[in-house]
Amino acid sequence: MAEDRESKIDDALVRRMAEGDEEALRELIVRHEDRVYGTVARMIGGAGPDAEDLAQQIFLRIWKAAPKYRAEAKFTTWLMTVTRNLVFTFCEARARRLEVSEEIVDEEAEETIQRKESVAARTPREDLSGKELIEAVEEACAQLPMKQRLVVHLREHEDMDFSEIGEILGISELGAKSLMFRARENLKIKLSAFLTEPS
Amino acid sequence: MRKKRDEIGDGAEGLGPELGRLWASAPVPKAPSWFAARTMARLRREEDSRKSWFGMPKWVLIGTGLALLALGWFRWESQPTIRDAEVYAALNALVEEDRESRWWAGL
Repeated sequence: MAEDRESKIDDALVRRMAEGDEEALRELIVRHEDRVYGTVARMIGGAGPDAEDLAQQIFLRIWKAAPKYRAEAKFTTWLMTVTRNLVFTFCEARARRLEVSEEIVDEEAEETIQRKESVAARTPREDLSGKELIEAVEEACAQLPMKQRLVVHLREHEDMDFSEIGEILGISELGAKSLMFRARENLKIKLSAFLTEPS
Repeated sequence: MRKKRDEIGDGAEGLGPELGRLWASAPVPKAPSWFAARTMARLRREEDSRKSWFGMPKWVLIGTGLALLALGWFRWESQPTIRDAEVYAALNALVEEDRESRWWAGL
């Protein structure tokens, strides 16, 4: 019910945006900035200028596309689909840039291995500081394939159902569940040191 | 009960309580407080750069300029050309006319 009401508010704002109302865009940004910024930051590996730039691009794209928007699906599904497109394009371009410069890749890999070793070398139950746990989770998240990372974020943080996640990723509901399952298995391996139950 | 092929397993609905708790321990960053203001400023900058000259979109002015140039070029190309023979014929006609005038004048 509350979700429906929220969705209607969003639809009304997009209709106003389609008529060129900049104030409607500002309201929409305030309503969804944390959702978009958080998703972008989670996907690209942290907050910062890149996350801000991408999140801004997402809202500007929404502004430009507002006249073509048809309220067939929930607004948040559309918003997250635009987010997915831009973030995936950004990540692919970044991966290509890194491929060109092998030296940078080597340096980063070395740095990652060092960090991994430093985290894995500690037994969490003996010495588990919040910072290390956060570092380990962020690292495990960064190592997940893009789609798996997005599925986990949308499910765990945005509390979306799998049909919606499937729509955002352009796959079936079952496909989304399958990605979640694989992500869970990957995370179990990567975070095994922090799990109390046998994986 | 035997599992069907479509059933993914217990991980299908989420990360589960323990992994979910671990995942949640890494906070998702929130947008900085200036985010909305900066985005609006960027929107205005982009709109201004698109509507820069005489309050009209750049592409309209550039398009009009190119269309005028193309029109001028085609009109220049399609104007009638005068051959040398035509020029000589016209000059001869003038000379002939002059002779006739002189004859009639008794000169």
